[in-house]
Amino acid sequence: MSALVDLERSINNLLTAPPYRLDPEQRHCALLALLKQEIAYASDRNPRFRNYVEHWPVDFRSADTIADLPYLPVGVFKANPPLALVAASEIKRTLTSSATSGQTPSRVVLDAATARRMTKGVITIIRDFIGPARRPYLVIDLPENLAAQAELGARGAAIQGQGSFATETVSCLCRNQLGDSDVDLEKLLACIEKWKETEVLVYGFTYVIWTHLVQPLQRQGITLGMPNVHVLHSGGWKRLEQQAVTKDAFRRDLASVFGCSADRVIDYYGMVENVGVVYPDCERGNKHVPAFAEVIVRNALTLAPVEAGQQGLVQVCSVLPTSFPGFLVLTDDMAEIIDYDGCPCGRRGTYFRFARRVPKVEIRGCGNLETTRYPVGHGSSQA
Amino acid sequence: MSDLIQAVASPQEIICAAERLRETARQKAIVPQMVLEVFDHWAAALDARELREVPGVAFLRLWLRRGTLEPILLRELGPDSLHGAWRDEGRATLRAFPLGVVGHWPAGNIEIQPVLSLTCALLGGNGCLVRVPSGLLEPTQLFLEKLQEVDRIGLLTERIFMASFDHSRMDLHEAMARAVDGGMIWGGADAVSQVRTLPFPHWARVVVFGPRLSVAAMDTGAWGDPAERSSWCRRIARDVWQFEQQACSSPQALFLERGAGCDPAEFIEDLRQAFQEENRLHPRQEIEPALTSAICQARASWLLDDAANRATFPASPDWTILQGSRVDVPKPTQGRTLSVLLVDDLLAVISRFDGTVQTLGLGAKDAQREETLAQAAGRQGVDRIVRLGQMHVFGSPWDGMDLVRPMVRLVRHVRSRD
Repeated sequence: MSALVDLERSINNLLTAPPYRLDPEQRHCALLALLKQEIAYASDRNPRFRNYVEHWPVDFRSADTIADLPYLPVGVFKANPPLALVAASEIKRTLTSSATSGQTPSRVVLDAATARRMTKGVITIIRDFIGPARRPYLVIDLPENLAAQAELGARGAAIQGQGSFATETVSCLCRNQLGDSDVDLEKLLACIEKWKETEVLVYGFTYVIWTHLVQPLQRQGITLGMPNVHVLHSGGWKRLEQQAVTKDAFRRDLASVFGCSADRVIDYYGMVENVGVVYPDCERGNKHVPAFAEVIVRNALTLAPVEAGQQGLVQVCSVLPTSFPGFLVLTDDMAEIIDYDGCPCGRRGTYFRFARRVPKVEIRGCGNLETTRYPVGHGSSQA
Repeated sequence: MSDLIQAVASPQEIICAAERLRETARQKAIVPQMVLEVFDHWAAALDARELREVPGVAFLRLWLRRGTLEPILLRELGPDSLHGAWRDEGRATLRAFPLGVVGHWPAGNIEIQPVLSLTCALLGGNGCLVRVPSGLLEPTQLFLEKLQEVDRIGLLTERIFMASFDHSRMDLHEAMARAVDGGMIWGGADAVSQVRTLPFPHWARVVVFGPRLSVAAMDTGAWGDPAERSSWCRRIARDVWQFEQQACSSPQALFLERGAGCDPAEFIEDLRQAFQEENRLHPRQEIEPALTSAICQARASWLLDDAANRATFPASPDWTILQGSRVDVPKPTQGRTLSVLLVDDLLAVISRFDGTVQTLGLGAKDAQREETLAQAAGRQGVDRIVRLGQMHVFGSPWDGMDLVRPMVRLVRHVRSRD
C-alpha cells in the first residue's frame, strides 16, 4: 500500500499545481518520474501488463523521456473484462466510450480515488477557461443522461464532469412521441428568463447541440439572449463534417442562438480512456496540456515524436488513473503539434490542434478474408 | 490521366473499347510465340531505374521471361501451342483460340497485379479490358510505358484497354462485365464478392483468385539446425517483406514443430537479425497511420492476452515478431507482423486449415516428413506448397487453377475425311 500512498502524494502535487503555468522542462521531469512509478505499480498489480512492459524495446526504468515509456494503443481498452489494476470490489464506476454502431466501446474502470481525481482534473482545466465561480448549468441533452450510473457513457461522463460548477442543473431536451430527441422549448425559455442576467455554463455533445438546439431554434428564429453564457462542447466533428458544417460556422451560429460572443463557445477534445483530462481550445484555437498530463504526437512511419508543425498519431499521457493502466495511450486520432511552448494565450507547454480520426483499420488486399470457407469446430489453443 | 490509362466516365466508352478489342482479337490472330517475344523485351525494359522501388517488379521481370512462360504454356495448352498449331489427339486435332475480350479486376494492393493479370489473357490471344485501381495508376503507367517502348508495332498494346474509374461506379463495372467474354477477378472478400455479382454474359468464363491467406511451417530439423537457421530466417524475412503482407501468398504465421534440444529463443534471435537486415535493405518509405495503429494494437493485444506470450519488435512499426504456442492461424495484422507459433505436430496445424490457406511455405529437413505434410495440406485445401523464400513466386497453377487455359477455348477438329 505504501507504493500507492507515494503515488497519491506525487499525483496530488501535480494536480494541485497551476495547470498551465509550469516550466515545460520541470514538468517533464516530474511527469517522467511519476509515470515510471505508475508503470512499476501497474506491473506489480497486473501480470499481463507487466508482460507488455517487459517486452517494450526500452527499459522504462532507464528511459530519459516520456516518449520512450511503454504506451498502450487505445484499442486494448475494448477488452472484456476491462484491463484493471484493482479488484472488482473496488470498482466504483465503469466509463464507456461512444462507439459508433457495430463497434465495441472502450471500457475503463474507476475506483474511488481515480474517480475523485478525474473530477478534480476536469474542474482544474475548465476553471482555467471559464473561471472558478459556480453557476447554473444547462445541459443540452436528455434528463436520463444526467443520472449517476455505475456504467457511464462518454456523454454522461462529460455532463457529470462539469457538474461541479453547477448551482443547479437543467437538461433541455426531451423525447418526442417517436422517441427522438427534441428541444423542450418551454423549459428552455423558462431557464433563460430566470438566468438571463447571470453567468451560465452550457454543455452538450457537438452534434447534439447542432441538431437539437441550433438548427431548430434557427428555424424558428429564436435567439436566447444569454450574453453571459459559456458553451462547452465535445464529441467530435465527424457527423457535422458529413453535413458540411465547419467549425467556424458552428461557433458563429451557436453564439448567435445564445446571443453571446463567439469566444464564449469552447470546443474541447477528450476521451474516456484519458480520464480527468480534456483539451479545450484557447482563444487562439489551440489545445493545451495541463500539468498532470502530456501529449505526444508520433510520426506514423517511425513512431518517434514529431517536430513542431508536423502531424502524427496522438498519444495522451495522464498521471491520474491508478485503477487501470491508462497513463500512456496511443489514440486513433491525428493532430498537429503547433509548438512545445509559447502559445500567445500565455499557457505554457505543448499546444496542438486536432486533425482527424484515423480511418478504421482493415485487413487489406487479396489477403483480406471475411469468412472461412467452412466452419472449424476446434478449440484455439494448444496445451 | 495518361494516354495509356483512360479515365472512363460513361458505359459507352467501355462498350466501344470492348468492341475494338474484340475486333482486333478476331482480325489479327497472334500466337503465343509472338507474345513471348514481346514479353522477353518487356522484361528487359523493366530493368529501369524508375521502376526499381516498385514492389514486385523483380517478380514481374522473372514472370515475363520466355524461360518462365514457355513451360507454363506447354503444360497448359499442349506441346504445339507455341506456334498456334493444331495438335493431334487421337483422330481429332485440338487448338487453343482466344475467348475474345477478357475483363480484369485486379486487387488494389499489389502493384504488379494489373499487368500480371493481363499477361495471362494476352498469352491466349485475347483482348484485355483492365480496370486499374486508383492506387495503382502510377506503377501501371510505368509498366505500360515500357511495353509501348518495346512493342513498336502495337502487337500487344492494341489489345489492351486500361480503364480508370471510381470503384463505386457500378454502372461502369456493369458495362465492363456485360462487354467481356471472360473475367479474371483478384482481391479481398468485399471486392471479389461485388465483382462476382456483376451481369456477365452467360457464356463468359470467370475465374477468381483470392481472397486467401498463407502460412509458413518448419520441421524441427530445419529450424533447429544452427548451420542453416539464419539462411532459413533470411528467406522468411524476404517472404514477409513483400507487398506489406497484403498478398494472399504472404505468410502471416510461422509454425515451428517442437523438438528435443532445439531452442526457439535461438531461432527467434536469428529471425530478429534477419528482419532487421531486411528492413535495412528495404525500409518503408511511407505507411498509412491506420496500419501503424493496427501494428501497435497487435503487439499489445498479443502480450496482454496471455502473460506467457512473447514478442520482439523495435520502437518503430517496421516489423514485429509475436511468439506463442497455438495451432490455429491467428487473425492477420499485415505490415510485417509475423506470429511464430510453437506446436507439437505440424499435422495438427494443417488438419485445422479451413480452405482459406492458399500457400504453405515449408522448411523441412526430413523429405519423407515433407511428403506427408504436403499430402495433408493438399487435402485441407492448400493450393501451393513451396520452399520458404519462394512464397510469392507467381506461377501456374495459382489458387489451384491454370492461368492461361481458362481464358482460351480448346477447339476440337475431327476431320471429315480420313
